[in-house]
Amino acid sequence: MRPFEYAAPASAKEAVALLAEYGDRARPLAGGTDLIVDLKHAPGKLAMLVDVASIPEFRGIELTDEGLRIGSMVTFGEIMASPVCNELTPEIVSASHTVGAVQTRNLGTIGGNLVTCVPSADSAPSLLVLDAEVTVAGSDGNRRMPIMEFFVGPRKTCLQPHELLVEIFIPKASLGKPSSFRKFGLRKGQALALVNGAGALYLEDGKITQPRIGLGAVAPTPIRAPKAEAHLEGKTPTDELLNEAADIAVTECKPISDFRASAAYRRQLVHTLTYRVLKRSVQIASQR
Amino acid sequence: MLVQLKVNGELRSADVPPETTLLKMLREHLGLTGAKLGCDVGDCGTCTVIVDGQSVNSCLMLAAKASGRDITTIEGLANSADLHPLQKSFEELGALQCGFCGPGMLISAKNLLDKNPEPTVPEIRDALSGNLCRCTGYTKIIEAIQDAGRAMSSAGA
Repeated sequence: MRPFEYAAPASAKEAVALLAEYGDRARPLAGGTDLIVDLKHAPGKLAMLVDVASIPEFRGIELTDEGLRIGSMVTFGEIMASPVCNELTPEIVSASHTVGAVQTRNLGTIGGNLVTCVPSADSAPSLLVLDAEVTVAGSDGNRRMPIMEFFVGPRKTCLQPHELLVEIFIPKASLGKPSSFRKFGLRKGQALALVNGAGALYLEDGKITQPRIGLGAVAPTPIRAPKAEAHLEGKTPTDELLNEAADIAVTECKPISDFRASAAYRRQLVHTLTYRVLKRSVQIASQR
Repeated sequence: MLVQLKVNGELRSADVPPETTLLKMLREHLGLTGAKLGCDVGDCGTCTVIVDGQSVNSCLMLAAKASGRDITTIEGLANSADLHPLQKSFEELGALQCGFCGPGMLISAKNLLDKNPEPTVPEIRDALSGNLCRCTGYTKIIEAIQDAGRAMSSAGA
């Protein structure tokens, strides 16, 4: 790697100030599982690496009256080991388990995964279907937004260069919501998703309410499938209905062909995945 | 920058450039060449070390990040009197062929057994998903880990 300076500021405020000072010659460093690889292979004009992984405001998992807060610098390994996440957001745990391998999960953070913003980010679909919000810190203080607004394009979030992702917030209404995550990859470990996705819904008097479908690796960013969701709302979850929703979800995707899979195959996977995550969510909801 | 670590129970330090990875510091500044440089992008796992009880790819971690933390490398498994039960079991079962993946396999296996003393085969496979053996000798590696787990549990019981 080309030489750069390294700083590990103690607070978000200091980190933001440092990033603002260096402008585009500085980058924030989280777990490093993406950034260090990039720095080895595409050495740019980096002058300063600002390590934000140990900043206390970005750490920790807490249950509050409003919901569940996951610090942006919580690692996938920590999510998998968290009793609160296992109880209240098991699909975030399942999704975390599909990231890379043990060693990368112990370094890689959920916030880093979101900020890198690849369409296949494994943490995204479960957060989308749980109506997660994110808090961003900048020079003018913190702002919060729905996670949908955070994703702008491939490797592009709404973050300004000197802004940092503070935390992910799952609202109370989504904690324990029946949901399911699936990932199709070429292998179980160390594989990017061909397609990943999650479903979540409640059943009230046998009818689906608040259905959510989140899909990854099938569009420039992780997406919801709002038309398919609308088709499910208020209806009895028959196999026929779930298949119809899966048909609609396919039309809401714009997958690409690459060396991992063709667009046509990805569309088939979207259908299969959507049906399965909905079916599983219904099963979980029915057992309550 | 001065980086101080505890490696295999011993305080060590070195003055390294900020862009130095933990792997490079261990190998080139501290003379601990057990962890290997393989893919250098976090896929192959032969650089695996344990940092504060968690296995990581030392090729992806800056030495600066490891400052003040507790590191276990393959050199820390055996003591002067005896091999670690995992090393014995790997030797007895012939679990290594060329051996290049060995340090990472053994460290990942130790990290697994520390948390889960008698893992099932699927649990072992999952724990090794970040360690590649290009000789493809996975079967004996998995058997050796299972044997070592049993031996350690019965010795401890």
